[in-house]
Amino acid sequence: MEFFRRIFGGSSSAQTAKQRLRFVLIHDRAEIPPGMLELIKDDIIAVISRRINIDRDNVAVNIDTAGPESKLLVDIPILSDNVQEAGRQRGTPQRRAAK
Amino acid sequence: MDSTPHTAPLDGTPRNSSARGVVITITSGKGGVGKTTTTANLGVALGLKGKKVAVLDGDIGLRNLDIVMGLENRIVYDIVDFVEGRCRLRQALIRDKRAVPGELYLLPTAQTRDKTAINPKQMVDVCNELREEFDFILVDSPAGIEQGFQNALAPADQVLVVTNPEVSSVRDADRVIGLVESSEKGPARLIINRTVAARVKRQEMLSIEDITEILSTEIIGVVPEDEAILSSSNRGTPVAYNGTSPAARAYQDIVRRLLGEVVPLDSENKESFLESLRSLFRRN
Repeated sequence: MEFFRRIFGGSSSAQTAKQRLRFVLIHDRAEIPPGMLELIKDDIIAVISRRINIDRDNVAVNIDTAGPESKLLVDIPILSDNVQEAGRQRGTPQRRAAK
Repeated sequence: MDSTPHTAPLDGTPRNSSARGVVITITSGKGGVGKTTTTANLGVALGLKGKKVAVLDGDIGLRNLDIVMGLENRIVYDIVDFVEGRCRLRQALIRDKRAVPGELYLLPTAQTRDKTAINPKQMVDVCNELREEFDFILVDSPAGIEQGFQNALAPADQVLVVTNPEVSSVRDADRVIGLVESSEKGPARLIINRTVAARVKRQEMLSIEDITEILSTEIIGVVPEDEAILSSSNRGTPVAYNGTSPAARAYQDIVRRLLGEVVPLDSENKESFLESLRSLFRRN
């Protein structure tokens, strides 16, 4: 198995273990389960995209444990479409009625 | 998750209401003998056999079954969240889609709580709920004989004790087998893990016969030392998914025995061809 992996250039199981541990320890230390970030991401996408056009596929929610306190880092790419346009299109009916 | 009540079968098909799943607790006394690896692999092997299986991590505060199974990224809720009413049971269950044609789900434990977060009565209740939907519920017990162990033991219909062919784990196995008996959960059955046939042959390691004689307990499986175990846990893919490795075959045999098949033990006691070659060249 390891022989074929070396030939075809896959990542070693030890490297995989290291990456998986890094990831899971960040969540353990922050006391936020990994799947919770996915739910938070979905919530953020739903809320923000009601107002502006965002690149939903490239929204990233991560925990940053570098400093003394853990931080939630949210990266939301904005699509180049007219922001106000998106706000009008996706605005709630009540809001449109008010206008 | 949808809003279906958690008592509904997970795949939407009706399940015979008289069918009740079997709870099997995997324990050992001593830590590090392979309980979690055993639980993961028996769960996978049962799933590959077409069974509906839930594996339950009993080690509150030291969660590990998730990472061994490669499901750690998907945890949102855990058993303590369910017991304390923050989620429905099916919201805490994570499906391992690889274990077909059966169904395999992990019920993770809490990482930031301790053993007192759940009591034996609550464990029994959780397992009774799981019995309605699953053929098998495998409970991965924590090491030790304190409350975590008592929690894992409380719902058990059957108990499997994992030991290594090594003095301290056999001694602890004896203690645990006694506790299982006195809790009227016996007789426990034994899994001897990490055997090396060549070393048994050279009389450097306790044999299956030695351990049987000392513990006078039925042996349900013998799992050879296998390099594939480490790389499989590195990757989060239990070795039972790779049917050709010696340990994978041993887990499959244990599952066949759990399902009532008669599978002789001595087939696992023999040295593999590769191992015989290795021992030919070994100096010590």
